[in-house]
Amino acid sequence: MVKRLLLPVVLLMLAGGFWLSADFKTISAGVAIFLFGMLSLEQGFSAFTGGLLERVLKRATSSHLRSLGFGMLSTAVMQSSSLVSVIAISFLSAGLISLAAGIGIVFGANLGTTTGAWLIAGFGLKVDIAKYAMPMLVFGIVLLFQSSSKLKGTGSVLCGLGFLFLGIYYMKEGFEAFKSTIDLARYSVSGYPGVLLFMLIGVFATVVMQSSHATLVLIITALAAQQITYENALALAIGANIGTTITAVLSALNATASGKRLAVAHLIFNLVTALISVALIFHLVDLVDWTATMLGIDSTDYTLKLAIFHTIFNLGGVLIMLPFINTLVRFLERVIPDRIPEVDQPLYLSSASAEFPNTAIEAVKNETLRVYDAAVNIISSGMGLAREGGGNRIQVVKNFDGKPLTGESGIDAMYEKHVKSIYSAILVFISDTAFPRKEEHASTLQWLREANVQIVEAIKDTKHLQKNLQRFMVSGNPDIRHSYNRIRHHIAAIIQEILDIRQQQDGVMDMLALDALKLTIDEHKNSMADEMTKLIASRKISPQMGSSLLNDSTYAHDVSMNLVLAAQTLFGASEPELLHAARSVTLDVNDRDTILEETTMPKSDGKTMVQE
Amino acid sequence: MKLKKLIRKLENYLDADARERKEHRDEMKTLLQKMKTKEKNLAAKALVEFDENRLATLRKQIDMVHAQRKKGISALKELVDKHESTD
Repeated sequence: MVKRLLLPVVLLMLAGGFWLSADFKTISAGVAIFLFGMLSLEQGFSAFTGGLLERVLKRATSSHLRSLGFGMLSTAVMQSSSLVSVIAISFLSAGLISLAAGIGIVFGANLGTTTGAWLIAGFGLKVDIAKYAMPMLVFGIVLLFQSSSKLKGTGSVLCGLGFLFLGIYYMKEGFEAFKSTIDLARYSVSGYPGVLLFMLIGVFATVVMQSSHATLVLIITALAAQQITYENALALAIGANIGTTITAVLSALNATASGKRLAVAHLIFNLVTALISVALIFHLVDLVDWTATMLGIDSTDYTLKLAIFHTIFNLGGVLIMLPFINTLVRFLERVIPDRIPEVDQPLYLSSASAEFPNTAIEAVKNETLRVYDAAVNIISSGMGLAREGGGNRIQVVKNFDGKPLTGESGIDAMYEKHVKSIYSAILVFISDTAFPRKEEHASTLQWLREANVQIVEAIKDTKHLQKNLQRFMVSGNPDIRHSYNRIRHHIAAIIQEILDIRQQQDGVMDMLALDALKLTIDEHKNSMADEMTKLIASRKISPQMGSSLLNDSTYAHDVSMNLVLAAQTLFGASEPELLHAARSVTLDVNDRDTILEETTMPKSDGKTMVQE
Repeated sequence: MKLKKLIRKLENYLDADARERKEHRDEMKTLLQKMKTKEKNLAAKALVEFDENRLATLRKQIDMVHAQRKKGISALKELVDKHESTD
């Protein structure tokens, strides 16, 4: 009820305000234009999140200090700590960065956001900023009409900056005109009650506008027009810092446990910083005065002094919290644990990881790897293959009776428990994720969907194959047992080979190396057909056994081929910059036939030989 | 001369299709280089391998990389031809 009434009430209040005061209208328009500028800036930067930003982020998070530096720089460039926090949550949810790195980025983002105050106080108020806005808007709009996503992104960034400048100009104009009609400074409250009251106002304003930057501009322009006192402006800035966490908290609501941990870390950091600042506010004011004198800033230049205060209290917060990052990580992991459900659930898919193309791909790739590993375990269990000492060597179990090795009640049950939920979630996630800007992202997601289908097909084929395996592995006929053991050895060899190639971690080269396995699989199928013909001709197996063997060697072929195809997609996805080229050189069935024809030629005795 | 060069650079930047084609060509060149190195390494391994089975596996891998490279070279040729015909 309250939620439904809120919007009409806010709109009515704004309309009433516009009717009563033209200056209020100018200030509100300034805020609206500024917020629109921020949206445009975010949209522009997200056009570049198809690679560069992600690559930089991956490299820039190897230590706490590097994460901090990255958060600071990226926020200074993009002028939005909220965007950087949302990117960090998205990367964390997709499993691309660690929680400690995410916390480092968020701390850095808080420092980076202080550059905004410096820019506005030092530059925005001292020059006619609207003059700079006009050409930016014109160039920006021209670029927005281009077809290239990068040019469009540049256009959005220029428009965003143009609107930011224009918004600041209108806010400045509005407050200056406002000064002649009403003096808001009369409503100032001094002492701690004032600090607390204005801090709450700052929190509220930032939660409504979802941008501490916008609140800060509003504070600085109002301070420049002497509509608020310096002391109250400081409290408002502290409040803005608390309010800004709302964007991260909202974006983490649907995030994974790690995403939630980061949002809480962000909240804790800003709350702790705010509490310390409030407790020491009068000492901080003295420190700001001293710093201003050292920097040669006029003692009455309150806007620049506010920028100094904003920097000092954020820097103080970072210096106090930085040594406790690891403690914070441990605390958050204890307070927000990973759920252990009865049925395996996706770990990386969330609305936060769907925010950017590369995080969405990484999340789907990581989930698909889980599905793949679960499938290999199911297939191994069904085929009577064990891991030597639980490690990476696949061993064919002797005296296998055809029943799955694990205690679980069969392939169907294992599929339901370990694969189905994740598989379904992946399909839904890919369907819901649309990135119209870049075709390559969409096609990578399609390939990953195909890989999932192939993995599930491999499990289904194993199930079919397993029926006869249970029958013939305990058969009194040694020849049929031998043929089915050949199938088991073949699948074991394929799984082993994929495991070995996976350990090389050589991206698209691993993907291409798997083509050799396809040749092996084709050869095995042909060889099984030959064997079956010979066994029937020599009456060693019955025609019924022969037809079962033929069907099952086709199932074995499909199991192996689907595992190889899925592995190719997964290995290739780890080197996306060469994926397009690698896909065009992988060998199709005709190429493989040609190689088989070229490398094997019949000898006079009917056997085959490898050509020199 | 400098202005002409500048205009051509600007044209290239603004022509998204041309830039994309160039990216594809560069990707293919990098991949071909990687494959060439791999083929050489496999051939070197095959020279010192005496085990018949392992030698057969290595030969199969060499044939496969060779076929992939052939495919890559013709794809690159196609990309270059397309580039020349559009310029």
